[in-house]
Amino acid sequence: MDFRPLTETERKHLITALRGNAQDGLAVLMDRQTTSFLGTAEEVPDEEVINAIRSVPCHY
Amino acid sequence: MAITFRELLRELVRAAGRRAGARAEPEPAAGATSPELLPLRRVVLADDVSRALFAEYAAHRTSDRGGEETGWALLGLRRAEEAIALATLPAGTAREADEAHVKFNSAAQAFASRIVRQGHRQLTPLGVVHTHPGSLRHPSTGDFRGDIEWVVNLRGGEGVFGIGTADAEPRPDAGISWQPAPNVQCFGDLCLSWYVLGKRDRNYRPLPVELTIGPDLAAPIRPVWDELEAHAERLDRLARQLSRVKFEVAAGREKAALTVTVPLPDDGRAVRVELEGKDVRYRLLTPDGALAADLREDRVDVGVFLMLSELAAR
Repeated sequence: MDFRPLTETERKHLITALRGNAQDGLAVLMDRQTTSFLGTAEEVPDEEVINAIRSVPCHY
Repeated sequence: MAITFRELLRELVRAAGRRAGARAEPEPAAGATSPELLPLRRVVLADDVSRALFAEYAAHRTSDRGGEETGWALLGLRRAEEAIALATLPAGTAREADEAHVKFNSAAQAFASRIVRQGHRQLTPLGVVHTHPGSLRHPSTGDFRGDIEWVVNLRGGEGVFGIGTADAEPRPDAGISWQPAPNVQCFGDLCLSWYVLGKRDRNYRPLPVELTIGPDLAAPIRPVWDELEAHAERLDRLARQLSRVKFEVAAGREKAALTVTVPLPDDGRAVRVELEGKDVRYRLLTPDGALAADLREDRVDVGVFLMLSELAAR
């Protein structure tokens, strides 16, 4: 088993993720194969979603 | 050997540099930070999503409009190299379709995405599935012309595209799906073939498909899809105008009802609308119970603002 200290960047990401999980219920993502920390599930703005769905082209 | 002060100073600076280099933080391990979106290598379907696609495709083929093309928009999570489909939004009864094309009721799907995303703000559009009446298990040239323009709207600049056909040779082990290719699922006589298209691609690429245990987050709104389609534009307008409005599915008088709840500030009351079939019922929810409002207004956004106006005047 390999242990190493987190880098400053990793530490900040992890703290942000844990805070988002505790305060807002945001998911903390985990790599399915290594179980390592993958970041957080980012919220997607409504307008981005609505615009994409409304612009789905005709299919043939 | 004698050493000058200048040489000593130079060596000290070099040594300090080497130590600083040795202490430098290693590069973060791959995937340890917010994932960068790479070209898709697979689409992962929640098992309920896969069941919904096959079940609704089968039901569509036996319906009055079974000869037409149909389809679904997919919502889910976009990870570094995979798309995870977690919700299916049907084309809707108000779709434009025949045996050679399908244009989804996008207004209804857009509003449906608001409902689904109320508790899942990370969901994003992943792509679309549509059916072909023959045995063409690949998107058509006409599909490409539209999709290549559309995928720029998607995270990572790539879209997932599924093609449904009813051309499989059913196997004797009925009831079990199989994959004749990594990007093809078959169940009974139905097949779904999966592709990915990026904004710089010249053609679709086969996309391996996998299953995982998971929900179709749009399944709970299927029982009220007719109401959703009937009122989509006005409900969407309400959602944009009132930040705390909430949409739910609740038991109605005879079937499920789509409900709209607008909390009033401070006093624990709320305006509630129940949409069931052609009925539009208005209620005032109070801490002591629900009061029926004597209001007949089919335009749900107008009705809500009439209620709010009446309550503000009291």
